[in-house]
Amino acid sequence: MSKHFLEIQKGDFIASEKNKVNDVNLIIEEQGQIVSLLGPSGIGKTTILRTLAGLQKLNSGKIFLKGKLIASNKVHIEPEKRNIALSFQDNSLFPNYKVIDNINFGKKRSNGNGFSLDAKEIIEILHIEPILDKFPHQISAGEAQRVSIARSLISKPDLLLLDEPFSNIDQSLKEEIQVSVKKLLKRINLTTIIVTHDSYEAFSMADKCGIILNQELKQYDLPYNVHHEPNSVEVANFLNKGIFIDVKVVDSECAVHRLKHEELGEIRGKLSNNFPSGSKVKLLLQPEDLIHDDQSKLKLEVVDRKFRGTNFVYTLKTSKGEHLPVFVHSHHIHQHEKSEKFGIKTPIYIDHLVCF
Amino acid sequence: MTKYNIWFFSSFFIALIVALPIITIFFSFFSETSNYFIVLKNTFLFDYINNSLIILISVLIITFLLGVISAYFISFYEFPLSKFFSWALILAFAIPGYIFAFSIIAFFENYGTAYSILTSLFGEYNYNPYIPKLDGTVGSIVAISFSLFPYVYVLTRSSFFFQSNNYIEVGQNLGLSEKETLFRIILPSARPAIIAGLALVAMECLSDFGTVSTFSVSTLTTGIYNSWLSFDDLNSANQISFILLIFILALLSIEIYSRKEARYHQPGRGFKPINKIKLSGKKSVLAFSFCSLVFLISFIFPVSQMIYWTLKFPKYIQDIDILKINLNTMYLVGLSSLVLVFISLFINYGSRISKSKILNYLTNFSISGYAIPGVILAVAFITLFSNLSDIINENTNLGSTKKLFIGSIFGLILAYFIRFFSLSFNGIKSSYEKINNSIDETAYLLGYSKIKTFSRIHVPYLKNNIILIIVLISLEIIKELPITMILRPFNFETFATQAYVYASQDLLEAAALPSLFLISWATILILFSSKYILSQKN
Repeated sequence: MSKHFLEIQKGDFIASEKNKVNDVNLIIEEQGQIVSLLGPSGIGKTTILRTLAGLQKLNSGKIFLKGKLIASNKVHIEPEKRNIALSFQDNSLFPNYKVIDNINFGKKRSNGNGFSLDAKEIIEILHIEPILDKFPHQISAGEAQRVSIARSLISKPDLLLLDEPFSNIDQSLKEEIQVSVKKLLKRINLTTIIVTHDSYEAFSMADKCGIILNQELKQYDLPYNVHHEPNSVEVANFLNKGIFIDVKVVDSECAVHRLKHEELGEIRGKLSNNFPSGSKVKLLLQPEDLIHDDQSKLKLEVVDRKFRGTNFVYTLKTSKGEHLPVFVHSHHIHQHEKSEKFGIKTPIYIDHLVCF
Repeated sequence: MTKYNIWFFSSFFIALIVALPIITIFFSFFSETSNYFIVLKNTFLFDYINNSLIILISVLIITFLLGVISAYFISFYEFPLSKFFSWALILAFAIPGYIFAFSIIAFFENYGTAYSILTSLFGEYNYNPYIPKLDGTVGSIVAISFSLFPYVYVLTRSSFFFQSNNYIEVGQNLGLSEKETLFRIILPSARPAIIAGLALVAMECLSDFGTVSTFSVSTLTTGIYNSWLSFDDLNSANQISFILLIFILALLSIEIYSRKEARYHQPGRGFKPINKIKLSGKKSVLAFSFCSLVFLISFIFPVSQMIYWTLKFPKYIQDIDILKINLNTMYLVGLSSLVLVFISLFINYGSRISKSKILNYLTNFSISGYAIPGVILAVAFITLFSNLSDIINENTNLGSTKKLFIGSIFGLILAYFIRFFSLSFNGIKSSYEKINNSIDETAYLLGYSKIKTFSRIHVPYLKNNIILIIVLISLEIIKELPITMILRPFNFETFATQAYVYASQDLLEAAALPSLFLISWATILILFSSKYILSQKN
């Protein structure tokens, strides 16, 4: 028995030798929470969804849904009896039925969860009205994904599983649909697990985020914590937002901890892990950690500049050959060219000092 | 782990049934050799092989030329009636080789149709010495070639059609002339499709019984038939079958390999359809004349010959119980298609949901039946069930079970099943494979059981394909001769058997009416399925 809405205990999810995730412990405490599972392609995220849905057997461990055991090495409740909806990444619409008929297929089991949901509303939110009378082969991949989500929602499941749900949707529509879907899921209190390889999508949609790497669930935490306080070098590298630099812990006793870098000087903040003073550690430096200041005496050479829309990402080189990324707002009064000197505000203050 | 469930045993059982003729022939080959076979080996066997090979090689050359040239004209050029010819040339599928043979005999014989035409044009005279006699081996070659060339035409045309214009444009960009483009780009990339088409022609040619027996040419198939019918020697018949099967299986391997190769030549996403060149002047006349000639000879010639005879000898319209023959044919076609489609659906579904590798091998094995020539299958069938009946008779009080399988509708349907299961199973499979597995899974997740998923998702999706398969099976069964003739119940005639029986009694004019009905039914079925036949991507 489990008192949580969903609980996976020591779950081994295996599709093939490469595609497997072992020893997963994951809890969704309450109904209505949205959880995202983030990881590179082919790592086994979809295998977890398929096993939760009952399309694959659980190798070992246990899965409880609403307190009831639905999968273990002895128990396997058939997919049609689980009341779990899965929206596949690829086009899984019934090819010989129109979009509207595809959506209506979901109604067969729509007495499950019991939340109030109007088909018209879902169609509107997901912008499906213009294609209702079309057949699946007449619509785009992004439209097919939206229809698939609508069909899953109409079936009013206890648990909704979305596999890369927005991957084919146009960028211009993506954000709007993400916001609307999240709002809807929250309103109808539908527990949802979203699998994605897009960290922005994972962070913006979910209440909690799991990082799957090297066949393990490496971290399961609030999105903010996952981003700012990755619990391992692997997670930090996967999120790929910064670099590691060598620093020395100067003071780890006071309220504000102090580190020292040979060229950047003193770095202040709060250490996420405890290290005694004098330790040599690697500090995760993210692009938003350093602040540009033309007046500063601390200057580094610009070796690269990339335009990223709202920001420029400058790459600065230390005398030791470290390449440090720095965000600068793209409306900043002037730009720096390669080989120019670039000022950094001192002393450097970083909220979360992530060291390993 | 293989699950030994209903799907496994059903597939195993069907694989076994379809493999029975091959197993029978295999064992017969190693059984005691009869005196007749020893005589045959020292006398006619070489002739049988020799004639079969001469016909085979000649037919391959002619079908290659007819099929590839017409496919080339139609795929790359626009000329008068080119759109019409694109589908009209496949109408030759409606004319079995033996009906073409009747037409050739009727046209070129002394005082035949050619004689009548010359008389009506130029007055009474003895034209017989001047009319060429297309008989024997030459007649067989012509008849078989014109009835089989559509295999090469259809496969080559689709290969040309799906050849991206990009390749041709690149060739032109690199400075190749039209002729160089044809020989260095177009033909080499269509090679696997052409070989696949020729392999099919070769298999059908070696399997042919009706045409060669109409022209009294001794080949391996007539040898099998005569060993059984004239010498009542099933063992020898099976031993000759074994030799023929080796040829056929070699060709089957070439065909399967070439089809796989042909798939690699399919263009990807950058596919650009070919821009047809509009021909004018001499070139246009040449293309039009070639296609017209092929169409006239392959279709109009036998059809008009049969119409001419039917009208010239109206007494046979009254003598032949054509309604009964129609009903017999429809009965056989209906029953066989139902059995074939039902079992093919069942096995395909089982293979899909059980996802067992062994099941896949078994189903693959069970489709080998289509390679076995009708004569071999029928003779092996008789051998097997005669032996089985003897064993049952000796060991039980049940009496002879021969009648249940030989000379019965049940036996005939079973033989058709062995012969055409591949067509039906693969036809449904190709469409089934287009339904993504996640579609089944989605249905389960939406609360649909396996049976409901089958009835509400699979069957509606496969509906058109099933109709098409029924059409194709019907076409094959209507034209089928040796199995029907050898295994049919006494006095039970179809168009094919009735026409052949009259022809073998030298009553060719009486054969015209059933032949005409056969062609009409076959033409309707071909027109119905032409869109599919012409869209085959190898």
